[in-house]
Amino acid sequence: MTAVISAVGLSKYYGNILGLNDVTLDIEPGITGLLGPNGAGKSTFMKLITGQMKPNIGAVTVRGRRAWNDPGIFRGIGFCPEPDAFYEDVTGREFLTGLLRLQGFPDAEADERAARALDVVDLAEARDRLIRGYSRGMRQRIKFAQAVAHDPEILILDEPLSGLDPLGKRKLIKLIKGYREQGRTILVSSHVLPEIEALTSRIVLIHQGKILAQGDVPYIRDLIESHPHQISVTSSDPRALAGRFIGDRSIQKMTFGEDGRTLVVETHKRDEFFGRLTQAVLAAGIEVDEVSSPDDNLQSVFEYLVEK
Amino acid sequence: MAVIREKGYTHWDGRLVERRFPWSPITRTGILLAFRKKRFKLVFAATFVPAFVFLVGLYISERLEDFKAMIQGSDRLINIGPKYFVSYFTNDSLLFMIALVLALGAGGLIADDLRHGSLQLYFARPLGKKDYIAGKMSVAAFFVLLYTAVPGLLLVIFKLVFAGSFEFFLKYPWLPLSVLGASLLLTVFFAFYIMLLSSVSKNNRYVFVLVFGVYYFSEILFNILRGVFRTPYTALFSIPANIKQVGAAIFGQAPPLAVPAVWSFAVLAGFCGLAAVVLDRKIRSVEVIK
Repeated sequence: MTAVISAVGLSKYYGNILGLNDVTLDIEPGITGLLGPNGAGKSTFMKLITGQMKPNIGAVTVRGRRAWNDPGIFRGIGFCPEPDAFYEDVTGREFLTGLLRLQGFPDAEADERAARALDVVDLAEARDRLIRGYSRGMRQRIKFAQAVAHDPEILILDEPLSGLDPLGKRKLIKLIKGYREQGRTILVSSHVLPEIEALTSRIVLIHQGKILAQGDVPYIRDLIESHPHQISVTSSDPRALAGRFIGDRSIQKMTFGEDGRTLVVETHKRDEFFGRLTQAVLAAGIEVDEVSSPDDNLQSVFEYLVEK
Repeated sequence: MAVIREKGYTHWDGRLVERRFPWSPITRTGILLAFRKKRFKLVFAATFVPAFVFLVGLYISERLEDFKAMIQGSDRLINIGPKYFVSYFTNDSLLFMIALVLALGAGGLIADDLRHGSLQLYFARPLGKKDYIAGKMSVAAFFVLLYTAVPGLLLVIFKLVFAGSFEFFLKYPWLPLSVLGASLLLTVFFAFYIMLLSSVSKNNRYVFVLVFGVYYFSEILFNILRGVFRTPYTALFSIPANIKQVGAAIFGQAPPLAVPAVWSFAVLAGFCGLAAVVLDRKIRSVEVIK
């Protein structure tokens, strides 16, 4: 498949701070998920793709055209930025029609498209309310509506699911998948793996401005599984509990907390450990107060991958 | 194996409007938003008062000879000639009202975009930085022209109508051009002035204070320096004084102060140039991540 968006040796610095470092990436039609913790460089990458920032080194092309300083490419791109970016004193309908007019649509067509886009994101009833009165979820949806209202071939969505309730997320995921079925190219960023997983199997891992890995979900899952997990168990008798796991080969390390009630276990096979923990607790009759995974987040996985 | 998807969506068959001014929707929205503010509507209407007063003066001068005694001491209102127009375009009331209208209606043009982070939405359209600035400046220009060129030309027309002859026009055939020139001076200067101040803050109220603060501080500075140095050239520090100097020159009248009007023009032009540089630096498509 031909790459719709192509980045070659892309680097961006903010003074002494590295935003993006030597990123080379081809994005093809379908959904590509850009996964990384906050501050990883996802938004910087998206802004470079949309020509809103000039790369210090390297180049980005969209359909073969250089993205920087070419506003014309926006006829075919829909961009949904992460932060709220509205005038509060206009209604949802006015907001969309204004932006559609800037795209070059005549007034009647802009009105019609705005109504359609509002309908798509279930905001038809709130179309004449001021954006000031919109809830966080509604704001997220109207931001998405402005990205799709002009029917773009390429959609760049920066954290589109943040701030949505579970139902809203499901609807938006269905909608984005619908756009994929129409053959569009969609780049979605998130710092939440399950969100990206629900959208696509094609994932790019980004951290500290670098592309760490790219591949399908099983590959990324394997990478994450290879990360040793820490699990903390607070119980009435941590030493008795530890004795139950002495012979378990999946456990790499066990330490005791200073409070005398906590057992911290390090394992590569988290799910297996949880199964055995239940059995051990029942067999020994130990009272467990709390089970937690202090490093069970994407950030620690990335840190592990970087060290690796 | 990769799934081959058929391109299922269809593009719109109509034609996109090839706007000569792609920024015009920005101007339209800016004007619309200004009228959403209650205080603005009141001030907008009140700003026509100077034009109305001058129109009354013009009417009295032509039609009601007997009433001239009632407005003794107001020669500049009833002696219709270039001086009358200089008075209209450079009187303190009009300049104050223009500043007030712009502070209320246009102070947030860029400040609001900076506050709401809307710049990236504008620049996610087929629109350049120049288009953005032109669209925003046109909002300010619209209001200033409404208080300068429109009443100025109407006053010329009413003079001819009330006089019932073209004698006035034949005597001063260049006057309509001067009216347009003075309008252009005020429009360009105030548009740059409000754009500059709107771009230096994300807070609307702060911009409001700056509009009057800078304007009157320049006048106060002029008066203090004149007291100290005893030279009219300190007028070059004052925004209103420079406007009055250039305004008089546009209508072929002697400037109120003994300073060449071209110097005042250079100061105003320099200010606009500085504003353009600041705007170019301040308006970025995206905020730099800190």
